[in-house]
Amino acid sequence: MVIDTQGQRTEHAQNAIMEFLLINHPLDCPICDEAGECKLQEYAFLHSKGQSRFNEKKNHKDKRVELGPNVMFDGERCISCSRCIRFADEVAKQPVLTFVQRGDHVTIETFPGTTFDSPYSMNVNDICPVGALTSMDFRFASRVWEMSFTDSICPGCSRGCNIKVGVRNNEILRLEPRTNMHVNEYWMCDDARLTQYKFVNENRVSSPMIRKGNTLVSASWQDATAQAAELLKKFKPSEIMVVGSARATNEDNYLLAKFAHNTLKTNNIDFLRHVDNAFGDNFLRTNDRTPNAHGAAEVGVKHETSGVSMDHLAEKIKQRSIKALYVMDGDIAANSTLTAALSDLDCLIVHASNHNSTTERAHVVLASTTYAELEGTFTNMNKRVQYVQPAVATQDHERIEGMQMSRWDKFGASNDRWARGERRNCHQNWEIVQDIANAFGAGWHYSDSGSVFKDIANHVSAFSGMSYDLLQEYQGLTLGKAGSPEPKGVVYQSNYMKPN
Amino acid sequence: MSPLLTDILILLAKVVLIVNGLLMSAAYLVYFERKISAWAHNRIGPNRVGPLGLFQSFADVFKLYLKEDIIPTLADKKFHFIAPIISIGVAMAVYAVIPFGDSFVVGGKEVFMTVAPGINIGLLFVFAMSSVGVYGITLAGWSSNNKYSLLGGLRSAAQMISYELSMGLSIIGVLMLSGSLDLTKIVHAQAGGKWNIFLQPLAFIIFLVASFAETNRTPFDLPEAEPELVGGYHTEYSGMKFGLFFLAEYANMVTASAMMVLLFLGGWEVPGLYEALALPAGSPLVALVQFGVFAAKLVPILFFFIWVRWSLPRFRYDQLMNLGWKVMLPLALANIIITAVVITILQHYGIM
Amino acid sequence: MNVNHNTEKDRLNFWEKLYLPEIARGLGLTLRQMFKKPMTRQYPEERWEPTGSYRGRPVLVLEEDGERCVACSLCSRVCPALAIEVQAAETTREKERYPVKFEINMLRCIYCGFCEEVCPEEAIVMSKDYELVFTNQEDAIMGKDKLLIPIAQLQDRLEFLRRFK
Repeated sequence: MVIDTQGQRTEHAQNAIMEFLLINHPLDCPICDEAGECKLQEYAFLHSKGQSRFNEKKNHKDKRVELGPNVMFDGERCISCSRCIRFADEVAKQPVLTFVQRGDHVTIETFPGTTFDSPYSMNVNDICPVGALTSMDFRFASRVWEMSFTDSICPGCSRGCNIKVGVRNNEILRLEPRTNMHVNEYWMCDDARLTQYKFVNENRVSSPMIRKGNTLVSASWQDATAQAAELLKKFKPSEIMVVGSARATNEDNYLLAKFAHNTLKTNNIDFLRHVDNAFGDNFLRTNDRTPNAHGAAEVGVKHETSGVSMDHLAEKIKQRSIKALYVMDGDIAANSTLTAALSDLDCLIVHASNHNSTTERAHVVLASTTYAELEGTFTNMNKRVQYVQPAVATQDHERIEGMQMSRWDKFGASNDRWARGERRNCHQNWEIVQDIANAFGAGWHYSDSGSVFKDIANHVSAFSGMSYDLLQEYQGLTLGKAGSPEPKGVVYQSNYMKPN
Repeated sequence: MSPLLTDILILLAKVVLIVNGLLMSAAYLVYFERKISAWAHNRIGPNRVGPLGLFQSFADVFKLYLKEDIIPTLADKKFHFIAPIISIGVAMAVYAVIPFGDSFVVGGKEVFMTVAPGINIGLLFVFAMSSVGVYGITLAGWSSNNKYSLLGGLRSAAQMISYELSMGLSIIGVLMLSGSLDLTKIVHAQAGGKWNIFLQPLAFIIFLVASFAETNRTPFDLPEAEPELVGGYHTEYSGMKFGLFFLAEYANMVTASAMMVLLFLGGWEVPGLYEALALPAGSPLVALVQFGVFAAKLVPILFFFIWVRWSLPRFRYDQLMNLGWKVMLPLALANIIITAVVITILQHYGIM
Repeated sequence: MNVNHNTEKDRLNFWEKLYLPEIARGLGLTLRQMFKKPMTRQYPEERWEPTGSYRGRPVLVLEEDGERCVACSLCSRVCPALAIEVQAAETTREKERYPVKFEINMLRCIYCGFCEEVCPEEAIVMSKDYELVFTNQEDAIMGKDKLLIPIAQLQDRLEFLRRFK
């Protein structure tokens, strides 16, 4: 069989099909969120003459139907492809969507008495080739072409779903899944879409702080690190506990472990597990709500028999055998067993990206980055090491230094209101640890995350052979198997007009 | 009152009158320059400050006074300071010998209508002074430590020296006719309609062209050619120092025009006018009429200066030099020879 | 040698080379101009009323029931100077979108009229307003308060667009 994809007859047929598709499709592009990443728009652009011979009245259908708590349906835009129905059936396993009516009156409805509230329901917004299904969270927030999209990893659970971070004016507006057949296929959960970006935008610790009396006051990085080092020097090594973080990268945890063992010379090191038994399911969501529990342990942040473990920390604080706590994890005070104990400490130094109950008690708060502002690696539940890169600019790292940039980012000047999104004065955890370690005279000089990762690859056997380049090329490598990566799948570029 | 004191007082009064009159006329020349340029462009011109914009010049000067006086860090501060003073000082000094009329008698005292009467080298003094004027511009260009200023200054020096030559030579014919360097005598020699413009037309044209070059007016304004040199020698000047250069340019224009009136247009002489008026000799009224006539001849020439500026484009540097050395100088020399030959022939036959 | 001669010697005839007759001609031309009526206006007192084809400050059309704009951001996308910033939001009106923020930075605007040309709703049009003076950069960023102009005042331009766009 010979198929012509070009030529006059093919073009004629393509034009005709497009004309049929557009007979009842409204001219909604100006107000449609899908514009810019719409397959129908792309096909119309490529294969249509741009004119219609259809003079009759277009069918009108309901334009604002809430299929579920997060999914808005526009009947007129629907081209009846039935992707959403199949997704609900086969992937979300919640078969509530169906076609009703006949002919050009066909539309999609939920079965009476049901609603499409699957934890994966928002994926239909991505697979819908037109703007018929849109996200109620993102609705009208921004045009696609005004955002930059940066490849990243979802920090919401230990699955480590591959995502893209959509940013405009240094503010994350939405997250969307990125295809990785070895981790999340094409999907991500609604919970991550709705919760994993707001904390980057809001309630941030925007500069380091030192406690003066009862209040925390902003300080320079020099003052804050000097103060932290000074506080730590007052205690015997055995009185200091270092708490790593399963939310921080391998690089952060590696340097923290090095700091604890070589500089503070304490064996009291562990990290807090954030387990939510109600969260996991048998698809993507896992009970472990941190992205890097495996990695933290692998690079050296783990309980040692001679040291104090997280489980006994509250008890040891009460006994006054632990007097100082150096915490990289943002919010340990949220853990009910520790809340009370923390106030008995003589010294609490905490790395925090957001204001929370731990920062309220801290003596020194060191402003740290969120997953969207750092470069590093996370190791997921299946021991897959995946690369994270900055999507949001900080005072230290501007977009021009290699981040993805939208047209707005490229041409914005200081007198443009659309280029003034806040740049926070936060540092990556490993940078803060390095500064404090150097205040102890450690003499480290890691210049960037890459140099820390190189150190990890050289010293931690499971990581040997890995590099950022390889991690990006294969979309992640499994621990100990850097030499035999899983095959790269064919990633179909579904919206070629979309930026990045 | 002792005679000496009276003399000094009269002298001072004359100086004050002339300096103020000169500055005023320079200021109003700026106003007319702007007005005439506006007319040539089918515009209206300054019309906001005072009736018909007549106080515009004062506003301009006031603005210049209030402006910041900037001296470039690497400039030669002494010369940068002196240059505009030389320019304006020289432009004013020339007026010591320029007569605006004969003399009149007040209270038995004869008052000459010139600051320094009876100087028999008056014309030489004018030329000497205008040569010194080059220093002002050249020093300004050199001391500013700016390439554009320097180029402007250099051009100015070259241009002035080139055209001074033909200018000086062009008046030799006039001197041969009048037989004196005293400007008053030159005027008197033109009495009765024997204006030198008729006797020496070629010399007049050469003098006219050369005075455009000497005063740095278009089409000879290469020293301050804006499109090429920003502002030429005064690029680095601001405030009243710039204002002094500005005033000097216009004062020089008045000087050049006055020289043309005295040398070629018969000064205050108009055939038959004074006889017709029949005023008593030495009366102040005569002096007034003389000054009026002088001014009436001066104004069209000044208008001509401005008119030319808004009509003609600037010469290229090579054209400027070609014209000066290959055309003007030979013509001026030829003019001397022809005049000399004609005078000799006429004297031989006793006609002169 | 391949030299293209274009010297004054080649270009000018004898009388032109003499300069003086040509100078006189030039002077005559300017002198004639001096007696013509001035073409300029006494600006603050006499103001020029542009026609509908004039491209002044871009403004948003305000109808009886609110602005026409649906915040599609096409003007913002097409603007070669990136002068326009739009933030959309949802309304209950028939057109679901409206601009909650619409800002034109008049320091960036180059009055090209692309925004007007691309607008699917004819909601942004070029007005006759050419008197744009600011005392600081923030004033030059015009929000909806300054941009929305009642449709009655824009009839000339809308008529022009109807006939010629």
